[in-house]
Amino acid sequence: MTLVKEAPAPPAKKRSAAPAAGRRGRRRENLAGYLFMSPWIAGFLLLTAGPMIASLYYAFTSYNLFTPPKWVGLDNFTTMFQDPRWQKSVEVTLKYVVVATPLKLLLALGVAMLLAQKRRGQALYRAAFYMPSLIGASVSVGFVWRALFSDDAVVDRTQKIFGLDVGGWIGNPDYVLYALVALSIWQFGAPMVIFLAGLKQVPQELYEAAEMDGAGPFRRFWNITLPMISPVLFFNVLLESIHAFQVFGSAYVVSDSRCGPADATLVYTCYLYQKGFKESQMGFASAMAWTLVIAVALVTAVLFWSQKKWVHYEEAAK
Amino acid sequence: MPKNGNVERRTILKAAGASAAALGLAATTGCGGDSGAGDGNVTLRYAWWGGEPRTIAIKKSIALFEKKYPKIKIKPEFTDYEAYWEKFQTQASGGNPPDVFQNAVGFLRKYDKRGVLMDLKAQADAGNLDLENFRNGVLANGQVDGKQIGIPVGANTMALVIDVKAFERAGVEAKFGWTWDEYFAALQKIQDKLKIAGDTGYFAIMYLYDLYLRQNGKAFFTDTDLGFTEDDLTQWWTDGYKRVKSGLVADPKKIEQAKPKSGLSAGLAASEFTWDNFSIRYEGEGESDYGLAPIPTTDGKDTGQYLGSLMMSAFSGTKHPKEVAQFISFMVHDPEVGKIMGYDRGILSTTEQFDAFKPTDPNNKGVAAYEDEVAKAGVLGKITPHPSGADVIEAAFLRIGGEVAQGKTKPADAAKALFSEAKAAFAG
Repeated sequence: MTLVKEAPAPPAKKRSAAPAAGRRGRRRENLAGYLFMSPWIAGFLLLTAGPMIASLYYAFTSYNLFTPPKWVGLDNFTTMFQDPRWQKSVEVTLKYVVVATPLKLLLALGVAMLLAQKRRGQALYRAAFYMPSLIGASVSVGFVWRALFSDDAVVDRTQKIFGLDVGGWIGNPDYVLYALVALSIWQFGAPMVIFLAGLKQVPQELYEAAEMDGAGPFRRFWNITLPMISPVLFFNVLLESIHAFQVFGSAYVVSDSRCGPADATLVYTCYLYQKGFKESQMGFASAMAWTLVIAVALVTAVLFWSQKKWVHYEEAAK
Repeated sequence: MPKNGNVERRTILKAAGASAAALGLAATTGCGGDSGAGDGNVTLRYAWWGGEPRTIAIKKSIALFEKKYPKIKIKPEFTDYEAYWEKFQTQASGGNPPDVFQNAVGFLRKYDKRGVLMDLKAQADAGNLDLENFRNGVLANGQVDGKQIGIPVGANTMALVIDVKAFERAGVEAKFGWTWDEYFAALQKIQDKLKIAGDTGYFAIMYLYDLYLRQNGKAFFTDTDLGFTEDDLTQWWTDGYKRVKSGLVADPKKIEQAKPKSGLSAGLAASEFTWDNFSIRYEGEGESDYGLAPIPTTDGKDTGQYLGSLMMSAFSGTKHPKEVAQFISFMVHDPEVGKIMGYDRGILSTTEQFDAFKPTDPNNKGVAAYEDEVAKAGVLGKITPHPSGADVIEAAFLRIGGEVAQGKTKPADAAKALFSEAKAAFAG
């Protein structure tokens, strides 16, 4: 991720001075490289590429893991689009992506701007804010979240002080998804670090010049900071939305492995998991997985297409 | 990497070695099975689900077995219920399930259909497994189409667990032969006097609805299908939702958040339907006294109850069928094992074990007395092995019933959804 493009690296020195020996040496070097990589390559072929191809095939079959897969063509896809629970899972996931991603990025950017200033103990603050992203994916945090947002727990009691009696978020189908959103927002550390790096790259002269012209803080943010960090912003939006589409762990743990109540946290991957591993419909689950891949690819494509309109890449130094 | 472009041979060899080691490692973990060494020793894998007390007891029983059969080693595998069946399914589909495993009536046909379960009749005929001395005909629970694919380790039946203190304070009594109307009247009294709900959410429990259907001459499952109509279920859920609204049944939002505690022991309601051997958990969880009460009836007599049970089953492809049979036989008949296990998996199923274990604590005593009473009342019916897909339907029933309780789905739509999901589950 480079944002203000650095001077191009000097071209690699050509080794043509000693042709035969050099080429052999390079080939040897390549060989060693491949050998070192071979565990990874083997792992990739066996554990990633293989299963992916297999699941693409299963997507067009009826497969319960025990009897051999039976080719059914597009049946899985047509049943899927008509399945009310699948529709629900799409709805829940979209809601989650649309709510959680912007909020998380907003917070990440806000905190990054605070942390970009020179202050004492800055490293400590950065570490503290980054910490939740390190532990956020763990199952135990899911349990903690459940405890925080349950009936008569911290959040509920705090709300009651303000006269909001919801009775806990976890058991309430109208609120429980927002507990997951909160969990996602709380883990804003990774995009924050990237924002920080971006903010550091904004040339200070621009601010000085703007200030001299009488631009206020908001103006400076809108006309300098935002355009200058727009590549970073783009990167974060891309990464975080892809991430949000694949949310699973928190939904699974916070809502007690059933992604409920009343399917309120039935995110896409959770339904996929239930179909595959609880109802043994691996064909259907594979079809769901590939649909997700395509959907995420489409979203990515749209984002890439849109960047022409709002992402500002500074031309390489003139 | 050396900069001069000359890679030492040793480097290449090292890299090759590392790769080979990694692949070799993958290969060994891939096949994994090491049962049966050349010296006549045999290792069997045995898997079960359950809490810690069960695990401790089973491990003790295994130690006894290994002492008696020094050439057979038992390798235990255990998880909680949810994880158990997910893991089992994956193992079984890969042709690598445990040699012996815990099973239940909802899964018999499913895994029989998939060819995973061994017919233990042949081993019984060969004298490696004793099929005598099972109480109250529970051995039939493990039979499907003339095959013996499960051996019951205990027997249990649905019951109503009540908060004894709450019932006393409200001045209501749970008695044999009471009707559903009387039950709901009792709940109303509890609500009026104690300002708490009476029930934790009876209408989402598949096994209870089964009893209700049996009282009315139907059943939840036939051999291949559902044994009731969409209208039946719509009625059941409409009534249920009405009772949530009126406060007779606890607020599902609160029940949800009390988990893993049950709504009853969390004090959210005064009674809860469940399997009688589960009743032991409430004393540990809650602060009141808990007791077992009879299932309400339609006609003042028939409760629709039957004895369900946990079983031991064996993998059809095990390399050691004889040893597997010996192990199962030991676990269900040995009196010492009966003493160790107690009623954790239900009332002990064979007379040897039943006679060997005399409960001394009030919980186990209560369970024994309850089942005695039920048996004496002569209401026990016969259980039929559920069709393949029953496990998926049970989960769907709980989920969709929960949506009804939350007011998120109308009973008629909910019933329709269940039927459509059941159709898919039976086909799977």
